[in-house]
Amino acid sequence: MTSVGVNVPRKEAPNKVTGRARYTRDLCQPGTLYGLLVPAHVAHARIRAVETSAAKGLDGVKAVITGDDVSFLTGDVIEDHPPLARGKVRYWGEPIALVVARDAATAQRAANLVRLHCDPLPVVNSVAEALSEHAPLVHDEVGSYTIATPPAAPRRHSNIADEANVTKGDCDQALRESDVVVTVHVSLPQIDHAAMEPRVATAEILADGRVLVVSSSQAPFEVQKLLAQYFHLHPGQIEVTAPLVGGAFGGKATVQLEILAYLASRAVGGHVVTLANSREVDMATSPVGMGLEADVVLGAASDGRLKAARLTFYLDIGAYADSAPRIARAIAAQCTGPYRVDHLHADVYAVYTNHTYTTAFRGFGHMPMTFAIERAMDELARKLGQDPLDLRQLNALAPGDLSPTKARLTSSNLGNLPETIQRLKPLIGWTGGAPYAVAPHRVRVQGVAAFWKTSSSPPNATSGAIVTMNADGSVNLSIGAVEFGAGTKTAAAQILAEALRIPVSRVFIRDEVSTATAPEHWKTVASLSTYMVGRAVLDAAQDVVRQLKSLAAVVLRCAPEDLDYGNETVFVRDDPTIQLKYADLALGYQYPEGDSIGGQIIGRGRFMIRHLNLLDQETGHGRPGPAWTVGVQAVEVEYDTETHQYQILKAATVLDAGRVINPAMAHGQVRGGMAMGLGIASREQIRYGPQGEFLSNQFRTYKVLRMGEQPDTYLVEFVTNPQVDAPFGARPLGEHGVLAIGAALANALSRASGLALNALPLTPEFIWQQRRTMA
Amino acid sequence: MNIFRGPSTLVLTINGERRKVVVEPHETLLDLLRSPQVGLTGAKPGCENGDCGACTILLNQKPAKSCMMFAVDAEGQDLVTVEGLVDAPVQRAFLDHFAFQCGYCTSGFLMAAQALLLTIPHPDPHQITEWLRSNICRCTSYEEILQAVREASER
Amino acid sequence: MIPGPLEYYRPTRWDEARQVFQQLIQAGRTPRYALGGTELITMARTSQLSFSDVIDLKRIPEVMTQDQDGDWITWGAGLPLGRIAALDRWPVLTATVDRVADHTSREHITLGGNGFSLLPYKEAMLPFMLVDHAEATLATGAGLVTGRLPDYFDGTWRVASEDFLVSLRVRESEVRNMRFRSFKLTRLDWIDYPLVTIVAVRHPTGEIRAAFAGWGSAPLVSAEVNRVLSDTSRSPGARAAAAIGAMPVKPLDDVHGSAAYRAFVTEYTLARMIGELEASS
Repeated sequence: MTSVGVNVPRKEAPNKVTGRARYTRDLCQPGTLYGLLVPAHVAHARIRAVETSAAKGLDGVKAVITGDDVSFLTGDVIEDHPPLARGKVRYWGEPIALVVARDAATAQRAANLVRLHCDPLPVVNSVAEALSEHAPLVHDEVGSYTIATPPAAPRRHSNIADEANVTKGDCDQALRESDVVVTVHVSLPQIDHAAMEPRVATAEILADGRVLVVSSSQAPFEVQKLLAQYFHLHPGQIEVTAPLVGGAFGGKATVQLEILAYLASRAVGGHVVTLANSREVDMATSPVGMGLEADVVLGAASDGRLKAARLTFYLDIGAYADSAPRIARAIAAQCTGPYRVDHLHADVYAVYTNHTYTTAFRGFGHMPMTFAIERAMDELARKLGQDPLDLRQLNALAPGDLSPTKARLTSSNLGNLPETIQRLKPLIGWTGGAPYAVAPHRVRVQGVAAFWKTSSSPPNATSGAIVTMNADGSVNLSIGAVEFGAGTKTAAAQILAEALRIPVSRVFIRDEVSTATAPEHWKTVASLSTYMVGRAVLDAAQDVVRQLKSLAAVVLRCAPEDLDYGNETVFVRDDPTIQLKYADLALGYQYPEGDSIGGQIIGRGRFMIRHLNLLDQETGHGRPGPAWTVGVQAVEVEYDTETHQYQILKAATVLDAGRVINPAMAHGQVRGGMAMGLGIASREQIRYGPQGEFLSNQFRTYKVLRMGEQPDTYLVEFVTNPQVDAPFGARPLGEHGVLAIGAALANALSRASGLALNALPLTPEFIWQQRRTMA
Repeated sequence: MNIFRGPSTLVLTINGERRKVVVEPHETLLDLLRSPQVGLTGAKPGCENGDCGACTILLNQKPAKSCMMFAVDAEGQDLVTVEGLVDAPVQRAFLDHFAFQCGYCTSGFLMAAQALLLTIPHPDPHQITEWLRSNICRCTSYEEILQAVREASER
Repeated sequence: MIPGPLEYYRPTRWDEARQVFQQLIQAGRTPRYALGGTELITMARTSQLSFSDVIDLKRIPEVMTQDQDGDWITWGAGLPLGRIAALDRWPVLTATVDRVADHTSREHITLGGNGFSLLPYKEAMLPFMLVDHAEATLATGAGLVTGRLPDYFDGTWRVASEDFLVSLRVRESEVRNMRFRSFKLTRLDWIDYPLVTIVAVRHPTGEIRAAFAGWGSAPLVSAEVNRVLSDTSRSPGARAAAAIGAMPVKPLDDVHGSAAYRAFVTEYTLARMIGELEASS
């Protein structure tokens, strides 16, 4: 192996350190018009009118569109979402109008002139309020919406957008028979993706009917599909380009600005319009990550073996469903964490509120779900007086077990949690989890938590790769996966280089993806790209090798089976001096006499996920993903028992990576995930005012980790039990650093403070309040 | 007294080149740099509110958030953007340490780090942290960036 | 994006600045003086503040003063906080301004800009509120006028809208070797608005004096609080607790922290500060 398992720098790295890397907003062409969304400053209201005459009258304003102009509903699963508020405003920040103007300043001046006339309605400001008797309804007719992508089960005349259930065995009976039962209520706020590049989309409708969209999207093919559907266009008419994306974290996998940019362009005769979110709009108007209220009841035998779990999850999905039904099912499918529980009942409810709507967030629901389970596991360990790592190891799912949805687990599709736990102990210097004093009022303590995650992808997710060979034998690789920092392109190039036995420097790959030229790739999400793209790339590489051999066989007058390849040559296996260079074959072979055969070497590869199915609506049974990545995380903190301030001294992750394609990038992904997870757990929180006002729409009020607030030491190690159907055995790991580190922090601080810290964020004020409540 | 009313011409130095530009008084320096007439898109709009540092440049060798200045305020000043860095040790160090993922914050971090190294050639970790926590990175763990700047200061 | 339209004036004389301000007011416009300009930009782009004209004061020499003339140390209102920290002429001022915003922003934010901020904090003013001989120079209709700071500022400025702060000064003989502590307490983050910033000094008179930003809607100093803090017959903890009770206004309750929590952090911080200020001197 020369290209896989080595620290290949990112393909686009030199551009990123010179300011030459181009993101969507850097591509603005002269003559572009500027769109601007006008957010509502009310969370729930019946619209009487959106007054736009003053805005329209301003010099330089080209168009002002409102919900009156757009009658269709959008939605990935449930079509419940008007692109511009229509009839009702359902969240503070919801766009009530879209202004198109000559320049951004004019657009802003016009936006300031738009007036909303409305009758305020009672605000559904929490999950509890949404579920209360006689709660105001966020959607009057939740049962009437079209289900675009089943399954989804909206409950009529309620705020429940969807529910997913999983049952196994006899939960009630097993709880009664348990020696120890713990009950934990967990409460997590909505959070923001806060990618450094705010979302932006540009649209243009050409005279020949083609639609050009450039977007900071993780899902250009989804944009193409939905625009075709909503505007009755042929998919081929629509070309969506996703340049380098400045961070995504799931927040750019849904389709919002692209629809609005198309509407804006249509309103000005197809002229090119760009619609760039300000940070404030990106936070309050575009989707965020969901909040969670959860009740966890675990029953165990006196030796710590889990017997039963009753789990109820209420997701604060905000005003529109978006991906929530998919996330609800992902949570249901992995609801026990990586533990064997034979008697299980889990209900997951996606609950509408008058909060900003939500979408996928790094981990696809597994981060909040893991927090709930892992807090309960730690409370169980505390109650049993057991080492929290031993408890997790004792209950770890193993090959031969069934997942909560009765998918069969194997050593290939599961990975080895006990091995990661054993590796973690020396890595962090495991103390057993009991706090110890280091100074007056100061204690140190370690906390742990484990995770598992699978893709929860649709059963028809597909990917492709096209390889064209250049005259010198180097290759161009075209894939449909977007580069937002995860190193997808570099990993794909490494895989191709390895398969073609050429240096990675001989693989060329474009920064951007265009739906018109790249093969379809479902979405760049779910940490799946290396798996899906990698398989397609291997398929394409095989095609290239087959073509090289068959052409060389003719020239060298032998059977293709007699040939091998390497060093950019095809050679006869038993006499390598009989050989042809890739360059001799790349564009067809020319005989010395001048006549030629063959043609360009063009490899094509494709991959389709297999053996997945939708979870049964009654039993919840089914197979949610190709494989699970497992791991364990830990933190060591020093905590001041008087001020409740704390420092994170160490943070550690050990996960089963199967095989690491690029160690430096893999470590970076996991460390970055840990930093994000610790930020979320310690400080991140969208706050709503008493009337549903979105109060955290800047980095001044939505705090993320900065330098100096990271742990003193990051410890990351991988164990490597290959996933046999994955390229070189590599398991997904892009999201995973974020999954359990917050739970580990809460477990550590709960142990340090003697409190049960079951809500986030873990600010000193929150801990102080818990202490006061106790006293 | 200088008065800027409507489109106004001013002269400033960008990446070593004296340039005459036309700006509106309400435009920020970031707007100007990224406009077609200058065309330097390395400085990024991340918050346009002075919070994230993605638009950081050098203003007379000091770090400046170009979203927090009126463009006319830069008249006669010496500006360096990330495009003006040529083989700076900090660029190499960012490459070697994988000190970025999506890259959107990178220009700003590089310029903040460059300003630091111009002022304090051999900063200690505390000084690096104090200067660079003016910026936000959402992808990395910050550890990579810290290590990169440390190494650049030792080159 | 600042919606504009705007007109931008850059006078080089203080009287010119006042004159243009008055002319614009008479013309029915809404001018604003600017130093660093950061707050104008942030508030304009979010439409929290609208103004038709910016009068940039940074090219007025008196506004950029950084003198030490005899016993007086003077700081022009237009000096960036980063510059003031680099000059380091008064350690307690250095320590306090070094905790405003972030390092890069402190190259933009000025002494006068922070002092005249529309936000509740104005932390840079706290040290000046603790000494007997702080003076402010203002550009007024009667010329450049220098007077005792408390005559113009007690947490809130009493300055005519067309007048502006030119500089602040203190007496070196008063502030030399003054023991101090300056702490900024936030919700959690290093870079954040303060829950409370407390600057405390042990004045040459022996008194402990404390100034607070973030506790209320304006910076404050209270003679009663200082009296309580200086009562050496009681333990630091007891004095801190009594000081909380003696605060002249209730603490803020906002997105950064509740009123009760502000009181909690203020109390333990005051106790620590008193202890440190009185430690074997």
